[in-house]
Amino acid sequence: MSTTLHTSRFLDIGTLGALSHLKFSTRHRIEGSYSGRHQSRQQGGAGEFVDYRQYSGSEDLRRLDWKVLARTGKSFVRIYQDETNLLCTLALDASGSMAFKGTGRGAAALSKLEYAQYLATAMSYLIVHGQDQVGLAILDVKLRTSMPPGGTLMQLARLHEEIEKVAVRPTTAMAVGLRALFEQSKRRGVLLLMSDFLMDDLSDVFATIKLFRHRNWEVAILHLVHPEEESLPEGTAFRFEGMEGDGRLDCSPADIRADYRRRFAQHLATVRQYALAGGCDYHLVSTSVPYLHTLGEFLVDRAN
Amino acid sequence: MTFLHPWVILLGVLAAALPVAVHLLTKPRPVRLPLSTLRFVREAIHQRRARNTLRDLLILLLRTLAILLIALAIARPQWGARPLVSDQLDGDTVRVVALDVSQSMAATDRGVAAMERARTRAAEFLRHRPGLKANLVFVAADSKGVFDVPSVNFDQLRTELADARALPQRVDVQKFVEVTAKMLALVSPDDHRRRELVIISDFQRAGWARADLSPLPQGTQIQWESVATAEPLPNLAILDVRVSSSESSGGPSQCEIDVYNGTTHQRQVEVELQIGESLWNLKANSLPETTTTITQELQKKQTGWQSGQARLIDVDDSLPDDNVRPFAVHIPAEPTYVLLTRQNATRRPSSSFFLESALTLRQSDQSISSTEKTARVLRVDPSEIDNSSLAPADLILLDHPGKLPEDAVKMLAAYLRRGRPILYVASESVDAVNLKTLLDAAGGSVSLPVEFVPPPVGRARRDLTLASVKRDRPPFNVFGDHLGGVLGQLRFSGGLDSRRLEGRPDDELLAVYSDGSAAMVSVVSEAGALAVLNADLNESNLPKTGAFVPILDELIHGLMDGKRGNETVFCGEPFFVQLPGDAGPAAALETFDFLTKTEMPKSRPGELLDEETGTVWHWNRPPDPGVFGVKRGDDILTARAVAIPPEESELNSLDLENLAPRLAGGHATYYRNVSDDSRRRDDFWTWLVMACVLCMVAEIGTMIAFRD
Repeated sequence: MSTTLHTSRFLDIGTLGALSHLKFSTRHRIEGSYSGRHQSRQQGGAGEFVDYRQYSGSEDLRRLDWKVLARTGKSFVRIYQDETNLLCTLALDASGSMAFKGTGRGAAALSKLEYAQYLATAMSYLIVHGQDQVGLAILDVKLRTSMPPGGTLMQLARLHEEIEKVAVRPTTAMAVGLRALFEQSKRRGVLLLMSDFLMDDLSDVFATIKLFRHRNWEVAILHLVHPEEESLPEGTAFRFEGMEGDGRLDCSPADIRADYRRRFAQHLATVRQYALAGGCDYHLVSTSVPYLHTLGEFLVDRAN
Repeated sequence: MTFLHPWVILLGVLAAALPVAVHLLTKPRPVRLPLSTLRFVREAIHQRRARNTLRDLLILLLRTLAILLIALAIARPQWGARPLVSDQLDGDTVRVVALDVSQSMAATDRGVAAMERARTRAAEFLRHRPGLKANLVFVAADSKGVFDVPSVNFDQLRTELADARALPQRVDVQKFVEVTAKMLALVSPDDHRRRELVIISDFQRAGWARADLSPLPQGTQIQWESVATAEPLPNLAILDVRVSSSESSGGPSQCEIDVYNGTTHQRQVEVELQIGESLWNLKANSLPETTTTITQELQKKQTGWQSGQARLIDVDDSLPDDNVRPFAVHIPAEPTYVLLTRQNATRRPSSSFFLESALTLRQSDQSISSTEKTARVLRVDPSEIDNSSLAPADLILLDHPGKLPEDAVKMLAAYLRRGRPILYVASESVDAVNLKTLLDAAGGSVSLPVEFVPPPVGRARRDLTLASVKRDRPPFNVFGDHLGGVLGQLRFSGGLDSRRLEGRPDDELLAVYSDGSAAMVSVVSEAGALAVLNADLNESNLPKTGAFVPILDELIHGLMDGKRGNETVFCGEPFFVQLPGDAGPAAALETFDFLTKTEMPKSRPGELLDEETGTVWHWNRPPDPGVFGVKRGDDILTARAVAIPPEESELNSLDLENLAPRLAGGHATYYRNVSDDSRRRDDFWTWLVMACVLCMVAEIGTMIAFRD
């Protein structure tokens, strides 16, 4: 039986070859289904030796270091670090604001969602080809799509297909969907959340993220920002239309640019503060930077 | 406020809408753009909306205001009433520019004479314009135009204006009005030219308060251009110098100097008085805005005419010309009285006898012999009256003259007009006729407050007492507190009845009898001096009392003093001096400048005329101050001081703002002062341009202030 795997329009295998030497790394010990290159939360006898610990009488005698006992008369057990594979869940924000792509001029021709789609597609490709497992969650007003982590090519193809199909919905809330994802996820792993965090329930979102953290999930946040969001587009007069059902507004960007910048910078600072306070790995990502460059920097940063 | 180009305002209003229209038309069409961060935009706009709205309103307001201001500036606003005389008016016009050149126009304010300010202003009205004919009239004692009629020769008018200077004269407004009225008169019934009169003056109160311009042609536009300062200029002046002498040679006399302090402070004034070779230095405190009289007793050494000069020392004021005043002094020899009476000199007692006796007693000099004394009173029969008999008289007395011949009346009237005082003792009914014909012959120049009429037939005038007298005036004031006792013993008889005349001042009626008739009347004026004593002295007890000589002495003294008051004449004003009867023909006389002792050139105004009444010295317009006289050989016959009229020293101006319409006599008037803000201003456009520039600067400032 021959099956044709879906090839996403967001996947450019040729360019990803340049990043093939980079692997997605975790900063904490994780739980996995299979043996892998990531440190497991389990310490057993088949992994890498890390330390001795005095024998308490309840440990498995197979781990007793007989040579030390013979040489010193003291009983110690050997402790090994298990290595396991990565369970990474890519969570994409599909709220209306993610569709913003500005005036389409300059380097940032992509919308934030498209940028996230490219990034998620590439990330998933690299994770699977790093022998790890990747899942997908599409979040809008609720958990729209959820794919548990998997490491097969079939899983990857299905995941790419889902990523490609993501469509935005006008909503300003993400906490509900994120909580649903939390409740579905039984095993610890890495949550890679890509969002612009332009939402009303920002505190709820990070409260939910804290739940992940309490369950020892590693949470990496990619905060997507379009350059024209940072300083408003250049032009005399615009009729700005809300992307999440929040009306329209006529104004001259020059009149409010400074105040707008200050407010947006405050928003970025708030998100960053929430993320860092919750123990998340925070990355501010501008869509003006090529996604491969962003991906490379992210992976290198993770590796360090 | 009016506008020179009012139509520009309409353009300005339309243009003021331009910024709004430009704003609306150039408002950019908004580019539709979905925005993810609309919440931040909304918050930013919400905070900045009020600020931006304020900025937009300010900018729009300033921009609109700038346009309106520049439109107003182009429209040339003009404040105040529109002048009646202006170069901006077209059409055929006859214009008379009257320039006051009286002495007060020489007054300086911070070094600039009023004359210079007036000259500058007058030049503005003497510029050529098609259809304009103008004339320049110099207003003083005798107003005269540069041309007889208005002309287009503006070059000559301006040349004359440049040469004009203030004269030591006062203004004769009515003469000026007469001259101007002739210039502005209609030359034909079809003469519809616009008529304009511009009067440029300091409008001194003394000169212009009685102005009446109603004789000017109907429709004359009168423009008053005042060069007066807001406050009267400080000035000190010598207004008059009087020397009152006793008639006896060598006796003491009083010199009275009137010093005017036209400042707001009390001043210590020092006057240098010079008479002949003698010199006095007098000091006095002078109160502000008052005239102070400084007196000095003089010991005269010789009789005859002398010149003198009073000078203020160390005075720096606005008008220096009036700080010096020349004067002439006549130290008289014993006066000569001519007594016209039909009574015989040998008849004693008689009315004329009492008079003659009293007159000789007046001469107190004991050195004069009794024959000389009687020689001073010349009895003349009225039927033999002629110039030779009247010429020596310093005073003419009439007592029981009978019916005066017509020629005698005319001759007496001529002497009266020329300053020879007359005392008439009216005792008979015919005296009423004589007085009436005398006054008629004098041409109304002298008039009495009462009309004397014969008493009714059958009603005797006896035992009359003085019911009321002027206690504070001569001759009664000499009695002081004893007046009641003196009057109580007096009884009068004879004389005439009298009727009061309406409109005559009461103070000329010195005494009234118990029957209401006038007892004593004395009129002393520039036109002559006449006193009437209404009683028959022979039938009254007055000559028999000690009051007779003092009363007669004071009465004569008053008349004689009035005569001596004419020794000063004013610059620019004509005068006639009747020379003494023994002066001789004019050909034997010459006029001379008293101070330089030089004979006046023949071309100089002032001439000696042989007339019926004797030789007369006439000078039409004495130009400058000085002392001038007439002499025969080395014998000085008379002298006159030519001085600046005293009213020119009082530099108070009329409030023409309110009075101009009344003085104009119904003509349209416009008043302005060159030195205050009441003059019409047409330079306001410069301020508007500046305000416009300020608006534009403020607009830029607003944009900078509201910039982030």
